[in-house]
Amino acid sequence: MTTDRGLPAGDARAARHRDGSAPAPLVEFDDVSFAYPHPAAQPGGRFSLANVSFAIGPGEVLGVIGPNSAGKTTLLRLLTRVVRPARGDVRLDGCPVGALGHAELARQVAVVPQEMPRPFPFSVEQLVLMGRYPHAPARFFESEEDRAHARAAMEATGVLHLAALPLEQLSGGERQRAVLARALAQQPRLLVLDEPTSHLDLRYQAETAALLQRVNGQRGMTVVLVSHDLNLAAEVCDRLLLLCGGRVARIGTPAEVLRREALEEVFRCAVVVDVNPTSGRPLVRVAWPESRTRR
Amino acid sequence: MRLALAALALALAMTSPAGALTVRDMLGREVVLAGPPARIVSLVPSVTEIVFSLGAQDRLVGRTDFCDYPLRVRSKPSVGGMVNPNLETLVALKPDLVIGTDEGNREETFRQLERLRIPTYLVHANRIAETVDLITRVGALTGHQADVPRLTGAMLQRVEAVRRAVAPFRRPRVLYVLWPDPLIVPGRTSMLTELIEIAGGESITAADTDAYPRFSLEAAVTRAPEVIILADHSTGASTAGRAAPEKWQRLVSVPAIRDGRLHSADLSVLHRYGPRVPEGLETLARMIHPEAFR
Amino acid sequence: MSAGRRLALALGVLGFALLAVTALALFVGSAGLSPAAVARALAGRAGPDSIESVVTLQLRLPRVLAAVLAGGGLAVAGVAFQGLTRNPLAEPAVLGVSSGAAFGVVLAQIFGLGLSTLQALGVTGFAFGGALLAAGVVYLIAAMPGGLSIQTLLLAGVIVGIFFTSAITVLISVVDFNRLGGVVHWLLGNLAPIPPASLGLFGLLALAGFWIVVRSARELNLLALGEEAAVQLGVDAARLKRRVFVAAALLTGTVVAFTGPIGFVGLVVPHVLRGALGQDNRLLVPTALVAGGIFLLAADTVARNVVAPAELSVGVITSFCGAPFFVYLLRTRYRSNL
Repeated sequence: MTTDRGLPAGDARAARHRDGSAPAPLVEFDDVSFAYPHPAAQPGGRFSLANVSFAIGPGEVLGVIGPNSAGKTTLLRLLTRVVRPARGDVRLDGCPVGALGHAELARQVAVVPQEMPRPFPFSVEQLVLMGRYPHAPARFFESEEDRAHARAAMEATGVLHLAALPLEQLSGGERQRAVLARALAQQPRLLVLDEPTSHLDLRYQAETAALLQRVNGQRGMTVVLVSHDLNLAAEVCDRLLLLCGGRVARIGTPAEVLRREALEEVFRCAVVVDVNPTSGRPLVRVAWPESRTRR
Repeated sequence: MRLALAALALALAMTSPAGALTVRDMLGREVVLAGPPARIVSLVPSVTEIVFSLGAQDRLVGRTDFCDYPLRVRSKPSVGGMVNPNLETLVALKPDLVIGTDEGNREETFRQLERLRIPTYLVHANRIAETVDLITRVGALTGHQADVPRLTGAMLQRVEAVRRAVAPFRRPRVLYVLWPDPLIVPGRTSMLTELIEIAGGESITAADTDAYPRFSLEAAVTRAPEVIILADHSTGASTAGRAAPEKWQRLVSVPAIRDGRLHSADLSVLHRYGPRVPEGLETLARMIHPEAFR
Repeated sequence: MSAGRRLALALGVLGFALLAVTALALFVGSAGLSPAAVARALAGRAGPDSIESVVTLQLRLPRVLAAVLAGGGLAVAGVAFQGLTRNPLAEPAVLGVSSGAAFGVVLAQIFGLGLSTLQALGVTGFAFGGALLAAGVVYLIAAMPGGLSIQTLLLAGVIVGIFFTSAITVLISVVDFNRLGGVVHWLLGNLAPIPPASLGLFGLLALAGFWIVVRSARELNLLALGEEAAVQLGVDAARLKRRVFVAAALLTGTVVAFTGPIGFVGLVVPHVLRGALGQDNRLLVPTALVAGGIFLLAADTVARNVVAPAELSVGVITSFCGAPFFVYLLRTRYRSNL
């Protein structure tokens, strides 16, 4: 197991100080452990997350991967302070997240959740405007400026033409983009996505990947991506954090993390790791069991 | 004697020249009137009856839906129910006195009337003597004092006659069923208990301190009543308050059932405290002591 | 049109409607006053002891004000509970708070408290105490480490409501026979003219409850995203739920203290408003205050006049409107979503 606090891969996307030294990390997990109060919640061991330490540099795209109940969602919850660590510290820009106010944290971190409650009775524009709440929580109605930010966010994700429609009338992909627009309207420094492509078909998967790269490239937003889709993660992310049983199994570039032995140990099944000829990134596939009709 | 003095005082007060007078009602409250009342609204069926019996109905301007005796009462406008009289209708009648009772009207109504500065005179009668007092007071309030002795005299004579007629006989145990389900019976402070006693019976529920306690059927059966009287509240239109004697027939261990002394009758006169009380008393006595009236 | 402008427009229309219904309520009644007489009384030009003055200013006007406050309070409580539970079918009665308050008042009536100002505090106190007791029990049943569990809240509310209703029935069965009529009458929900000081207290409490809910309206919108998402957007969800619950219980308890339990206002009014204005609580809460007043005032005017001189209880009218409406809701809009 390595706990590599490696720097983002040498890439123009990562910000650097004028003297060329590595910038201070945006997010730090410092020996964090957490346990849910109900024993049924964690399948193995007392802690859902144990001794997790890593850092995310500004402008980086970090992918969080691992099998079910490895602790990926818990990690997100700790990052957004839905729950607090039992031990250790979660720091945002050097400041522990516990010390930040609710709205203050929301101004820095935006979450694109996996699912929206159904039925959701608001329109796309109303949803996106909700993302402006942390910037002026005391206001009753949103300001003209808020509406402008919302429009820009909807345009960025291509849902502006759907603004007046109720969310229920949108397709899965359109809904996902609307939710992403809400997160962008928050103008966060850190964008967190929980399984963004799990319900999407191929076209929308491709679109989401492109969108993420645009968002990171053009706005320099730091992105944390939790995904089951290893190949998406491999393509889009600068580094990957592989979790297993609540602990960090590996952290590093996709090429460093997505190795057959490591994956087989963590996922406990046979895999084949190829190389994507276009991008040079790893390409992981399951080694399917021998077909009965195969010759 | 005391009552007579009080009534006399009231009568004197009422005949004094026009000007504010203060009277005390039957609950001991002081009621201030601008003058002898000429526009009375009665929220009590018994009082309405008494007013008509005294011939004072020209001073009555309003009644409740439940005021149904005598039939002439219908010519007077109604202000609604006893529990929920319509304040607007009442006020529009321009009353200078409202007569109410704490047994049947709501305190809230009296408070509203107080706020509207309409004098309210409250009555309460649980004994024949109190009924006589009530009639005397109504007589005084309506300026018909002269008609009171005729009415009350006749009443008391008939009551005495019943008392004498049943005196020689042993008192049977009587169960009076005011309402069958839940079983509601008259207690110590109910006038029915006194009437049963005058009619020559001994009410098995007389010891209970409430006016109208709920009783268990078991307890009633254990006390082995020899006469059971079922009050029938049904009117011609509905059978809602029907006495349903057949439900009692199965209690064969009870002496009253064994001896066939189960009576049901429309005894609503007994549930009012007015000049018709002797009628009901006579009916009761006939049920309890048929042998006295052959 | 921006949300702010829509709100202004809606309030304008509703305000006008409220004035119209108020005028109707003041001019119609059992006393048979001519419109001219009523107008004279309102303008202060009738003698203080004249019939029109007494009926208009001491009977009708306080009753109209009570109806507006009660209707508004119940409607706002309805919007609050619906936003809190994310269920458009939640209303104060469903959450047991109404029954708790009613139990408190029946208890107070048995102890002989009435409606003069000082005693009004006592009755209101009992009502609010009953409401808080019910709300507290519901809250405790539904409380989870992360805050209120909304599903449990709804179930707990139904159970607590049933419990208090049974308790009321027990009280009724032992209450003095003579008081029985009065207690049963109260339980049907009635508007009666309330003395000015009590009316002032009523208004103050209702407006306090309204103020808390309206300030939380924006966050209630965000709660629709789910609690976790709302927290991640910067909402202090635990405190919000507590605050809104207490405010809605306060509103319900206050209204029940003065008028008895009146049902369906908190269900019908928010629903109609949603059809016209959408789901934004920032629009719904202020308009509910006015629309609720209109609804209950209209219902009470019908109750007062349809079988004059007798009066129906206003709770009867709202149930007659509300129950079929509820069935209609279930059959059309919520078929798939319950």
